[in-house]
Amino acid sequence: MRTAPVGLRIGAPAFAKPGAIAAFIAVGCSGMIFGSGQFFESLLVVFAFLASISLGALIFVMINHVVGTTWSIVVRRLAEHLMMNIVYVAVLAVPVMCGIHHLYDWSHPELVTGDAVLTFKAPYLNVPFFIGRTAFYFIVWSALAIALFRHSIKQDGDGSIGHVESMVKISAPGIAIYALTQTFAAFDWIMSVEPHWYSTIFGIYYFAGSFLAINASLAVIVIYLRSRGSLNGTVTVEHDHDLGKYIFAFVVFWTYIAFSQYMLIWYANIPEETVWFRVRWDGSWKWVSLALVFGHFVIPFFALMSRYMKRNPRVLLAGAVWMLVMHYVDVFWLIRPAFSHGAARLVAADMTSVIGFGGAYVALFFHRLARYPLVPEKDPRLAASVAFENH
Amino acid sequence: MGLTAGHPVEDAVTPAPLVLGSNDFGSVTDRVCEINEWKTPRAWYVAFGIALTLLGVLLAMVSYLVLAGLGVWGLNMPIAWGFAIVNFVFWVGIAHAGTLISAILFLFRQHWRTSINRWAEAMTVFAVCCAGLFPGIHVGRMWLAYWLFPIPNQMKMWPNFRSPLLWDVFAVGTYATVSVMFWYVGMLPDLSSLRDRAKTKMRKILYGVFSLGWRGSARHWHVYERAYLILAALATPLVLSVHSVVSFDFATSVIPGWHTTIFPPYFVAGAIFSGFGMVLTLIVPSRTMFKLEDFVTKRHLENMCKIILATGSMVGYAYLVEFFIAWYSGNMYERYTFINRAMGPYWWAYWIMVTCNVITPQLFWFKKVRTNLVGMWILSIFVNIGMWFERFVIVVTSLHRDYLPGSWDYYSPTWVDMMTLVGSFGLFFTLFLLFIRFIPIIAASEVKGVLPQAKPHGGHE
Repeated sequence: MRTAPVGLRIGAPAFAKPGAIAAFIAVGCSGMIFGSGQFFESLLVVFAFLASISLGALIFVMINHVVGTTWSIVVRRLAEHLMMNIVYVAVLAVPVMCGIHHLYDWSHPELVTGDAVLTFKAPYLNVPFFIGRTAFYFIVWSALAIALFRHSIKQDGDGSIGHVESMVKISAPGIAIYALTQTFAAFDWIMSVEPHWYSTIFGIYYFAGSFLAINASLAVIVIYLRSRGSLNGTVTVEHDHDLGKYIFAFVVFWTYIAFSQYMLIWYANIPEETVWFRVRWDGSWKWVSLALVFGHFVIPFFALMSRYMKRNPRVLLAGAVWMLVMHYVDVFWLIRPAFSHGAARLVAADMTSVIGFGGAYVALFFHRLARYPLVPEKDPRLAASVAFENH
Repeated sequence: MGLTAGHPVEDAVTPAPLVLGSNDFGSVTDRVCEINEWKTPRAWYVAFGIALTLLGVLLAMVSYLVLAGLGVWGLNMPIAWGFAIVNFVFWVGIAHAGTLISAILFLFRQHWRTSINRWAEAMTVFAVCCAGLFPGIHVGRMWLAYWLFPIPNQMKMWPNFRSPLLWDVFAVGTYATVSVMFWYVGMLPDLSSLRDRAKTKMRKILYGVFSLGWRGSARHWHVYERAYLILAALATPLVLSVHSVVSFDFATSVIPGWHTTIFPPYFVAGAIFSGFGMVLTLIVPSRTMFKLEDFVTKRHLENMCKIILATGSMVGYAYLVEFFIAWYSGNMYERYTFINRAMGPYWWAYWIMVTCNVITPQLFWFKKVRTNLVGMWILSIFVNIGMWFERFVIVVTSLHRDYLPGSWDYYSPTWVDMMTLVGSFGLFFTLFLLFIRFIPIIAASEVKGVLPQAKPHGGHE
């Protein structure tokens, strides 16, 4: 068996030192000065966005374990760190839960009693159960992430095949558990912002964006690390190409899901369902909706179709960053119209939240990255993964 | 009964080889072509006789329908869509495994597909034929069935372009065309092998014509591989689109139980599930009959069982989400429809569906079941039954109690309905048996590509 390539460690960049992380968090929290309303609305968007990346990482790692892919081994550690950031996202859930009365109409007993539908839903949509569910989701996801990560790190030491087997055994039921918890998390955190509205596809919609986001994140990270002199010759243009294919595929899959939801609601034209899209077509929200149609589908669809584009790191980087921005716009579009009818507004607290909480997410990722090898050094499939080529 | 093939060393990182035994390029061609060249076995004649008889039943039922009218079916108001639509969706669903295996698994570099893609694609084409039959005979005056197509005419009469039923015509039509092309293009190298080995003039001419002058030159292979990749890329969205459009037939309506946004991906997952169920049903006995254990190995069968487990669980996920949202919606009609499904007059259909689609496939979590031929075969039949009942539940239970209690009714199929369904299996198996007899059932040229000898370093890396 060939040994893994060397030079696969990086030092922690300055922005990933504990002090810097604390500073990021402080910037995030400073959004409070713009008022708790702005703060919680912005926080929920960033929270749902960052959660989607970590959840995407979790499912990415589990699916690749179960189907036994080779190409993905070289990016597995990067995905694992993003997956482990779920613990940070869990901490971020605490302020979200503090904003529950601001974010969720159903949390106000006086609103619920005057509303037959909300009264009916109260056994599900109530504060203790909601917080309990969110806690439960994070416990489950963290447990899965930690169990998988632990085996992966142990494998760095002993290179045992037993760890591969264990990771497969955790991942197979893990995927089933994930499917349900992720779906209900999407219902709870995002769909219940507009508590009268419902859509059975909503969990898959959130998944589609999340899987797109993880592949885009991995593409950005590998291209960045290579520019810093790491991973050269390990994560090659062949892996870029595969990540690019996944980004392209999930641009299309997201569109398929988004279109299915839109088309069926538009066609049946039932007021209690169409209201959701009506709100997203009012005033300047129309431009956000159109931005998603073009920015989340039409432009990347044509831009990323050709082989050349996916194998050109500059183009792929631009495409991946673009998709992450569009994914943020998508999450924004899911949540915010409920709070500002008729006018899409990016507020000051959005800036502080993205820079602060998003920055802390990135910093934590690099902090973790510096502590471990950049690739699973002793995975028996590593050499094959490095040598992987598209045909 | 266990699997007879040898058990090579395998572990979590080195999967079992895709071809067992001491096969080389020559023996693969021999083994595959022999099936078409042997004297026709007696068992084939018996099976073909049975299939032809059933096909005769289908023809008789359709003739009777044309002569007597739609009244011979059990349709009533409000259940105006009965067996015909259930069977249509059932067969279209089965047609999905072929393209999934040939296109999506190809793009995902799942090389194990090479041993099973040919018959899965054949199954796809034949299942589309069965599916296409039903809307055609359901239109009432079936001699006017061509009105389904937007054909310019002197009456300036057009189908309704806003109707999902018309989109179906396009979706299924495109799917059938691309599936046939994919199947045929992939077959060219193998047809030419049969041509080169042909002993009789008739075989030489026929296989010669159908192999389109394939000589296996480097240039041919180059063009062929490009064409195959492009066809795979074109066919991939079709896997999703066909059954999504079929689901639109229901979901664009305002009927509780039909109108729900999860329908498109849920239908696609169900279609792949049922398609793999049927592939397994056909492949397990054929593999033994034609002694193909070297090519369709334990690993192939296990993989198919895993796909059935995964897609069956996705279908279960959809049932659960539908049920939850029916409650969560706070809409009494939604809620009633689902309670009625599980506990109303058709409760038995609902629970057959849940048992066969969600519960029994969970047995595939166990390696023992995934490697037991009899066990997996029985479970695959369950999948076929469960998926037929799923469509029955969707079509019939959603319609039979609509918004007006005064118009509620119960639907029972007539003997004509039953025999038409049975007859459609006759059509399917007649075509399938002809395929087994005259076309190489394994993509020999592709299987050669996964032999260790085909690797640049001869498999010694």
